[in-house]
Order: sequence, then C-alpha cells, then structure tokens
Amino acid sequence: MHRVKFRSCLIALATGMALIVSGCDQPAPPVTGAAPTMRLLSESQYRNIIADLFGAQITVGGSFDPLVRTNGLLTVGATNARITPAGLEQFDRMARSIAEQVVSEANRDVLIPCKPASVSSPDDACATAFYKNVGRILYRHPLTDDEVRSPVAVAAAAGRDLGNFYDGIASGLAGMMVSPSFLFSIDTTEPDPSLPGKVRLDGYAKAARVSFFLWNTTPDDQLLTAAEKGALHDKKGLNAQVDRMLGSLKLETGMRAFFNDMLAFDDFAKIEKDSIIYPSFSAAVAEDAKEQSLRTIVDLLITQQGDYRDLFTTRKTFMSGPLGRIYRVPVDRPDGGWIPYEFPEGDQRAGLITQISFAALYSHPGRSSPTLRGRAIRESLLCQKIPDPPGDVDFSLFNDPNSPNKTARDRLSAHATQPACAGCHKLTDPIGLAMERIDGAGQLRTTESGASIDPSGDLDGVKFTDAVGLGKAMRDNPAVPPCIVNRVYSYATGRTPERTEQPLLNHFEKQFTSAQFRLPKLLQSIAASDALFAVAAPEARAAAALSEKDDKS
Amino acid sequence: MSNTKAFSEITRRTGAVLATALVLAVSFAPNAQSKTLGFVITTWNTGLYESKFVDECPEGFNIGYDEIWWRGLSKPERARLTDNGLKSRLERYFNAIRRGPNKEDVCMNPTIVKDPPLLTVEGKVSYGANLDGNADGGATANTCKHENFTGLDGTPGIDNQMYRLLGCVYGFRSYGQFEVNANENRKSNGNGMTLIEVTGVDDEKNDNDVKVSFYRAIDQYTLDGGGNFTPFASYRIDAAGGKLRYGSAVKGRIENGVLTTDEGDVNLPFYGNYTYMNQEIKDMRLRLELSEDGAKVNGMASGYYGVDQLMFYIGGLGPISSTAISNCPSIYLAAHELADGHPDPQTGKCTALSSAYNFRAVAAFIIHPKAEQTASADQK
Repeated sequence: MHRVKFRSCLIALATGMALIVSGCDQPAPPVTGAAPTMRLLSESQYRNIIADLFGAQITVGGSFDPLVRTNGLLTVGATNARITPAGLEQFDRMARSIAEQVVSEANRDVLIPCKPASVSSPDDACATAFYKNVGRILYRHPLTDDEVRSPVAVAAAAGRDLGNFYDGIASGLAGMMVSPSFLFSIDTTEPDPSLPGKVRLDGYAKAARVSFFLWNTTPDDQLLTAAEKGALHDKKGLNAQVDRMLGSLKLETGMRAFFNDMLAFDDFAKIEKDSIIYPSFSAAVAEDAKEQSLRTIVDLLITQQGDYRDLFTTRKTFMSGPLGRIYRVPVDRPDGGWIPYEFPEGDQRAGLITQISFAALYSHPGRSSPTLRGRAIRESLLCQKIPDPPGDVDFSLFNDPNSPNKTARDRLSAHATQPACAGCHKLTDPIGLAMERIDGAGQLRTTESGASIDPSGDLDGVKFTDAVGLGKAMRDNPAVPPCIVNRVYSYATGRTPERTEQPLLNHFEKQFTSAQFRLPKLLQSIAASDALFAVAAPEARAAAALSEKDDKS
Repeated sequence: MSNTKAFSEITRRTGAVLATALVLAVSFAPNAQSKTLGFVITTWNTGLYESKFVDECPEGFNIGYDEIWWRGLSKPERARLTDNGLKSRLERYFNAIRRGPNKEDVCMNPTIVKDPPLLTVEGKVSYGANLDGNADGGATANTCKHENFTGLDGTPGIDNQMYRLLGCVYGFRSYGQFEVNANENRKSNGNGMTLIEVTGVDDEKNDNDVKVSFYRAIDQYTLDGGGNFTPFASYRIDAAGGKLRYGSAVKGRIENGVLTTDEGDVNLPFYGNYTYMNQEIKDMRLRLELSEDGAKVNGMASGYYGVDQLMFYIGGLGPISSTAISNCPSIYLAAHELADGHPDPQTGKCTALSSAYNFRAVAAFIIHPKAEQTASADQK
C-alpha cells in the first residue's frame, strides 16, 4: 500500500505533474502512545469555554493557580497539575459567580431553554433539559443518567429551600463547574476493536484533545456529534473535522494560545519597568506589545499562510498608539485601535525578536539583559536547554556601578571570565548582545553610558552585524523548524515527546518542510495523526520503557 | 503599498490639497528626501521676566477687583452685602464683579468705573524680540511710541508691552492662577492643544529653508505614569468636517539646532481658564531650540497681540480674577495706553501689544487628515 503511494508520486514527478505534497505523505512511524492523562484546564481555556457556552457577557472573575512550565510549555505542566485547596476555593467562587449570572433575569430567558412550571419551586423536567444541554459542552460528552441526576437533585433541594427555581438551577450548575469532569480534560479510553487487548481514546476524548489543540476551547456541537457517531475513529471523518477546524475563525484563538504559551507571554502579567528609567513604558505598552506580536504571528502564519521562518525577518506588523511612542512611528489612530504597519527596508526592526514584546519581556526592570534574551532565543525558539546559573555565582563584577565597563558587552566579558559562568554565557551572550541596541523597554539606542554599542555577533557560526542580522540567521538556522514541530506536538499532546518518538517528529518536520514551513500544514499533520490520540495501557508503557532503556544502553 | 508609504502618500496628498485650500504666507517646495519634525506644545506662558526680588514691580503687585470693591464699601454696606459677613468669599465675588453703578459687570464694561491705575513693569530686562526693528522705541508707520527693553542676553530694542502691562499682575506671573490653571486645563482635558510641524528638513542641525505650520490637535496629551508628557506620541490634526481649523505657516531656518522663522500672522488655538479662543498673533516669529535627542524643545513666540483679543480673554475670566488678583478695568485702560503695534488707520491709535510667549513642547507625530476627506469637503 505504502509502496503504491510512493510509486505514484514518482510517476507524477516523472511526468511533470505538480506534486501534491499531502498526497505523497509518507506514513507516520508507529507510536506506542502515552498513558492516559487528566489535564487541568488553563485559565484561557476556562474563559473560552464559558464564553462559548454562555456568551461573552458572562464575567469570569478570580485567579487561577499558576502552572509549572515544562518542556517550555505551561500546557505540558497542566498535565501534571493538581488542584490545591485554595485553588478549589477559587474555582468554587468562580463557579457560583458564573452560575448566578447565567440565571440572572437578564440572561435566563436566553440561556435556559425552558420555563419552569412555577418560579418559586423546583421543576425537575426543566432542570434536566438545562443540565443535559450545558453538561454536554462542560463535560465534553453527553451526560450519563447519574451525571444528570446529581445536579437535578441539588437544584431541587436548593430550589425548595430557597423558594426559587433559578436559585436552585444556579446551585446545580455551580456544582457541575467544580467537578473534575469539567476542570480536567480526561483521557477516557475504550477497547480498541482493531487491536484486541489494546485501548484507544474514546471519541469524546479525541474531540476534546483536538479541540483544545486547535481552538483552545471545548469541542463544539459538530465535533461532539462526530464523536458520538464514531466518526473520529475513521480517518476520513477525522480529516473532515480537522479541515473544518483549521478553516474556522477559532483557529486564531487556538494559535494565539499556543504562541502565548510558547513565548511565555503569560509573564507579561508580572512585567515591571522602572518608571524613572523608562517613563514611556506603561501598562498599555506592555499589553499592546504582547498583542502586537500575537497579531504579527497570526497574520503571517494563519491569515497569509506564510513561512514560519519569516517570523524572524518580517517587517510587517501592526501598530497602536502606545507602541508608536516606543517605536517612534506615527499612528493615525492614536485614540485606540490597530493599524497594519511595515517597517521600511533597512530599518533596525524586523522580525519577532526586534519587537518590544521580546525585548522588554526578556530584560530586567531597569536595564536590558543580553543573557535573558539569549537564553529565551535558545530555549523558546531553538529548543535548546540552558542550565540555570549556579546559586553562588558572583555578580559583583557585572553589577559594579563604578566599573569602567560601560556596555553590557564589556561587563559580560569580565563576568564570563569566571569558569562557572563562561560555558552558558558563550551560548547566550553572542546572540543576546545583538539586541543591545534595543533597551529594556524596547526603545532603540546606539550608546550605553556614553559608549557605542556593538551589536555584532554570531549564531552557531553564522556571523551578523545587528539584531536584524540575527533574525536572518535565526530564519536559516536548522534548529528552528524541528523546534516548532517539537513545541506544537508537545502542546497538542500535553506532554514532552519521548526519545522513541523522534522518528515521528522527524516525519512531521519533513512534512512541514515540504509544505514550505506553513504552520496550518503542521497543525493538520499532527491533528489528523494517530499519534495525537495514541494511548497505551500501563503494560504496554512498561514494555516501551524497557525497550528505550535497552536502546540507551 | 506599505503603510509607511501610505502615510507618506497621505501627507503628500494632503499637502497638495492644503496648498489649494489654504492661503499660505510662504512659498515652499520640500525636497523629496526631506524629513518632517513634529511637536506638541505642552506649556505656554506669557513671557514675563521675573527678577529674584520682583524689582520690576517697585510698588508691588496690583490688587484684585474684589479688593477694590471691598475697599470702596462702607462698614454698613459691607454688612448688608455680605449678610453680616455670613456670605463666603466665593459668594462675594459675584457682587464684587458687578460693582458698576447699576450692578454692571465691570469686566464686560471696564470703562464704567474709575479704578486705580494699573501698576506696570518698570524693569529694563525682558523676554521678547525686536519686533519693529527700531532700537529706541520711537513711533514708526506701524508702531506707536513705547519704551524698549533689553533682552536677557543684552540684545537691545526688545519690544514687550504685554510684559509691561501684565508683569505686576500676580495671576499672570509664572506661579499665578491664570497661567498655572490654563496649562493644567489643557493637560487634563486636551483642549486647545497646539501642534507645530516643521517640514522640508534636510538637516536637523542646519537647514536654511524649512516650513513651520501650526495646527490644533484633536487627541489628548499622552502622559506617562508620573503625569509627564510623553514624547513621540501621535496626534491628529483637527479637521472636523474636512476643513482644517488651523494651518498658519511661516518660513524658517535651522542654525546649529536652533529654529527661527520669518514673521507672519498666525492663528493658534487656545484653551485655558474655561475659555476657548483663537489667538491671532500678528508678525509672529518663532525661536525653537531643538534638544540633542529631539524629544523636547524650548521655544519662544513673539509678535503683536490684539488688545481686544486680550480683553476678551481677561474679561471672560470673571470671578477667577479674584484668586488671580487681577482687575479688568485697570488692565483695560493700561492696555490701550501701552499698545504699540498695528495702529488703527482711522484713529492712529495702536491696537496691539508687543508680546512674547515662552513654551515647551515634546516631539510628536502629526497625523494629517486623509486627503480624500479634505478634498471632498473642499469640493462642496
């Protein structure tokens, strides 16, 4: 079968016909799959679900416990996250608040599909209809009888005690929203009929996995219906759903979430700048800086279906009033809103790493940081791990205010003479120093403490003269495509790829390369792959682990 | 077309439309490679030179209109008009300003009472410029006899009768109510903000041919977290209904980073002390010192300011004049006596006061209206 497909490709090439890449895909290498997991909803997923289900008018207040970034992604950390007692309290408060809004007089007629026989007493039939309806979206599967019975009973008891049907409904709804079935995306499995003795994700778990991957929210009605009909176990049915999802406006929401995670933009929530040193940097600038990069990414990769690598060289972006003050460019909508903007050829701004977001996020409150910037490039964009500095590192040379070393390059050169520091700084500094002509607030400069800044450097042997040159070197760096493949796959599966999955990642990278590094193609490859849904029972996992151990030895 | 190109195109096309829609006092042909500099004025103060010990006002400051009213009242009248002293000072202001024989507002009718003459500046040093080109202050075809000042740098023949008039009125001095209030008003609500655009700049340090235009902004000031003016913000020009409200222009030059202009009649927007008005400054010339980083500038505008225009402003200030310690009738009479420019062709009496204004500005991007909008409005 595979040979036939490959041969048809060769024939097509030989006859000069256009090669349709997707038609000539090599089959993906087999994967063992990981153990089924329970992945805690992220804050953005929680908010998206509430907005999808009840509308954007519902306010979601409260704070979420932080997740631990793992393999560069919070999403991977969410797989191992647990809810703390304090976190559960927060979820309970949010749930009660949301439920109250849902049953409020302003919303109940729209959000509750039936009217009770009497407002002052419970109505089990109406409550059942409501919970079945919202439960399917909240739990991402049709409710079992037991799952319906519980909130209906709560609604009945509370409705009686409070003398109000809607207050009862709110109590039952709030209870559903602190259920693990809502707060965790649970990998439910079923016996795999094609592989006796093995298990597979059931249709609803598949729907949830692909939906959180591409849309960062709960499956919609069509996807759940497809799951219900078993269509997601069928290649054709799965492809149809994936294609539909890739064509949806919700893809932008999903990809914003992915890049927000990959670039650690959640750290914007705690960014601080010294207002004496950087008076122009405000909360509005921080918010817009993040938004600018996400708009740039979405426009290039989703709207224009451009080459992912061009993210490091593109001069096209979007501009807002607050950002215009930092970039020193005119904005014809200074009262608010965004305009498309293209930096002129030869400008010192081109590519993601020259934008305010990257420069400001990976800096200290009062100064830039070539080391943080270099580390971010290595870790986030090239997937290379830089060890944390040793606990007893001596920063005195670097921080000496009376140092004759005026520029960061001079100070780092002195600092890096310490053997414990030199190894890592060799990896981070030559690229971080390229961005030194962008200060800690993202503003251009040519000098530091009166001394001229030298932004030249090299990335893995490729020399450049400034940050724009670094962007070009990044674009052509062979580590860039495999890194985004690794990150997208990790994000989709919610786990760090195992060593045994390297052939699979190579396979996805090959497809990505064949598609001229178009992100939607990568998404499609992963979303429609068996690998995304592969799960293994504990015995199979143990055997795979032994095999991996043998490989290593 | 890139956005940068689109912006240039808008600027270029707008310029073409403006050339036909507005009568500009200068002819100007910008170089295709030239730059545009923009500024938004942040503070605007009447140019009053204040010596350390107020030597310019040897008899002290003037008293305000309510003080004059109070001094003119007998004890029984004071008791009657203040409800035996129960009326607050604020409530008394309205009685004080309506102290004409028939309770006329003396700011609206400044000649209806005979108040003490205004104490005027007797100092020798002043901000300003030699507007009439005359070193001795003698009358010319376009000016009336007046006494000249010497500039802070020793330049002789400085004309600034506005200083002579207002220099001893507390409210107009740098810490006085009128000036502080007006700047704060503009800062807080964004009314009357003036934009300065310098076009045709080939060299920011030295260029002998640039054009300086003045506009009103419709966007509020951009401030940082500390309430300071943020440079390099964008401001749109007021062109409501497709018509530019302002747009006066003069020819200028830059020498060693200092911009100076030829004289020209300009209209500037103004808002302060709850008063909106146009400021027409005749024969105005500008001096603007560009900072090294281009972010901030200090400037001085000097020219002739109409007495009627001044009295419109001062007369409209009403009770605020009390806290500013100012008195309309005294200022009115003195203003006419001190006027030194633009004589009335019929009477020969001068109608305007030589004046100077010190201002600060920060760099800004000035956004012109879309050419189509202006063009279509012009066609109507």
